[in-house]
Amino acid sequence: RGLAAMAGALRGARRAAVLGLRRGLAKAAGPRSTRELREAEEAAPVFQYVGKAAKRKDRVFVWGFCYSGALGVPSFVKPDVGWKKPRRIQPTPYRLETAEKISSAACGYGFTLLSSTTTDITKVWGMGLNKDSQLGFQRSRRDRTKGYEYVLEPSPIPLPLEKPQQTRVLQVSCGRAHSLILTDSEGVFTMGNNSYGQCGRKVVEDETYSESHLIHQLKEFDSRVVQVVCGQDHSLFRTEKGAVYACGWGADGQTGLGHYNITSVPTKLRGDIAGVNIIQVSSYGDCCLAVSDEGDVFGWGNSEYLQLASVTETTQVNVPRHLPFKIGKIKEAACGGTGNVVLTEEGNVFVWGYGILGKGPNLIETAVPEMIPPSLFGWSDFNPDIRVAHVRCGLSQFAALTNRGELFVWGKNLRGCLGTGRMEDQYFPWRVTVPGEVVDVACGVDHMVSMVKSFT
Amino acid sequence: LNAAPRRPPRQHVRFLPVPDGGDGGATGLVAARVPVLAEHPLVRGPRFRRLKIGAGHRLDVKASGVFVLGIGDGNKLLPALYNCHLTKVYTVGGLFGKATDDFSDTGKLVEKTTFDHVTREKLERILAVIQGTNHKALLMHSNIDMKTQEAYELAVKGLIRPMGKSPPIITAIRCLQFARPEFQLEIHCLHETQQYLRKIVHEIGLELKSSAVCTQVRRIRDGVFTLDDALLRTQWNLQSIQNAIGDCQLKVKTELEKTLG
Repeated sequence: RGLAAMAGALRGARRAAVLGLRRGLAKAAGPRSTRELREAEEAAPVFQYVGKAAKRKDRVFVWGFCYSGALGVPSFVKPDVGWKKPRRIQPTPYRLETAEKISSAACGYGFTLLSSTTTDITKVWGMGLNKDSQLGFQRSRRDRTKGYEYVLEPSPIPLPLEKPQQTRVLQVSCGRAHSLILTDSEGVFTMGNNSYGQCGRKVVEDETYSESHLIHQLKEFDSRVVQVVCGQDHSLFRTEKGAVYACGWGADGQTGLGHYNITSVPTKLRGDIAGVNIIQVSSYGDCCLAVSDEGDVFGWGNSEYLQLASVTETTQVNVPRHLPFKIGKIKEAACGGTGNVVLTEEGNVFVWGYGILGKGPNLIETAVPEMIPPSLFGWSDFNPDIRVAHVRCGLSQFAALTNRGELFVWGKNLRGCLGTGRMEDQYFPWRVTVPGEVVDVACGVDHMVSMVKSFT
Repeated sequence: LNAAPRRPPRQHVRFLPVPDGGDGGATGLVAARVPVLAEHPLVRGPRFRRLKIGAGHRLDVKASGVFVLGIGDGNKLLPALYNCHLTKVYTVGGLFGKATDDFSDTGKLVEKTTFDHVTREKLERILAVIQGTNHKALLMHSNIDMKTQEAYELAVKGLIRPMGKSPPIITAIRCLQFARPEFQLEIHCLHETQQYLRKIVHEIGLELKSSAVCTQVRRIRDGVFTLDDALLRTQWNLQSIQNAIGDCQLKVKTELEKTLG
């Protein structure tokens, strides 16, 4: 009887157990804590930091020498808070707040111009040195009759436009003490020093350039001007038809007009580029390079540093000469003070000239272009499709932009202008850490400005 | 191991007394070759009582993959291999939408975020930047003066590597798979820990303005040892271990000679 009762009890228990299992067949109950954790996790609020259609933001980063005001951050020169100290050099990229999206930037010798393609009244901002009115007339707030000699933050430059709410500014360029602004329908505006005719107007003897309201407009070209370039004391204009015009100082032959005199009216260049469709011109010091649509490169100007030594022994070339390099079809060229760099269609970078060229401390000068190995720009078996997309030149530095948006710099690190964070010269291409994808960079003597798109 | 046949015991010559017929008196000595008693198996006992096993680079509990061990005299090669500073390759799996306190999916939840704006293109951009900054760190920690021609030549060949202590450096990173919310990365790194890799996944999530946790860390290569050389759980027996040691000996020797000279 006891056994039977026990069996009965067991059977009962099993039945109860079976019933219990059957009830909870869907999911066996885990320990309370994990189930509670899972439920708490599912009930937690979801944060949204950025929406699905969020656009990438456009930013401007600056670095280099601060005391001239060319970086556009007033607190570097005149600290706004007691504990801040004036900063002489900004060694790494620093974000500059701008009112509009900046499409073109140019660095001169101690000053910077930023421009946007907006149709608002204010299209161009300038900062830095203004002793020759290269930033136009900046009215001083303390004395309404005087202008500022140093502009510490991006200040609007008033342009005498006929249709200010329709014309767009396409590009800006800066030289030693003058600047050029290119518009889409009203020609080119020039301001600043004109002692060598670089502003395209007649040289007036004993003219005072500081606090001048004069902005000259240039419209007489064979067709619409599509690119303006400033050398140290001369200006180059490239038109839609592929012609090149020049004016300004010519003692090194940089105007390319066949003489070594000053030119005060933009005149068309002849020589080896007569009849050639030029697609890009470049200059920053006293040497000039032009690239044709067929991939040939032409040079004129100063050749003291072997820039044009491949075609001539003379140190000043005043007529454009074709440079017969067998390195492939050339896409882009950039001229620095003593060295030149070109970019070929395959994405290879070639340098020649004098100074720190980017192939180690042993290569100081060469008349024939030498290629910089692509592995220095991040190319490897792991990343075989990295290519250099653009090359830029400052006075003694070079910059290269890859198709991944990385910026590589090399050359003399004058007052921290390379942006690497160190003060030493850089003998081979080195990455600059910028928090974004670098779209374009403008190099100056001792500072640089870059236009960057944020990652997300 | 102990059951394996041993080498036969040494023999030595001993002068043994000749068992005489029963004469008494003169006992002669005869030279005989007998095995040395000290090498008798019952005297010596089992050949192996303990085995010294040393570990190569650490692998933590939540991770899996290739784990290098040195046995006995092989432990002497372990420091040499460490000084070669070879890269290790990991496959790291991640999940968008969550952030936890220990960066893995088993940790305590800190925050949940949306991730519908994350695309493969954005992820690859972030990875390119990570690779760039780590490449810079690689050049800086390698203790070579950047101003020398030697530094330039090593940089061109891509052979600059820190040969001493350095913080964790990622030499290459790329996205293998992307199926939102999951993704998988392949990371080549030096001097890292698995928790550092989980932190990288978390930081990638932050950079993309969302959040991410690491679901899997698997080492697929440790210097010269790849997944093919690794033994599975079912192969943890004497024969496979002996074969594996034999196969890897040559590889390890050539690598040590190449790097340390």
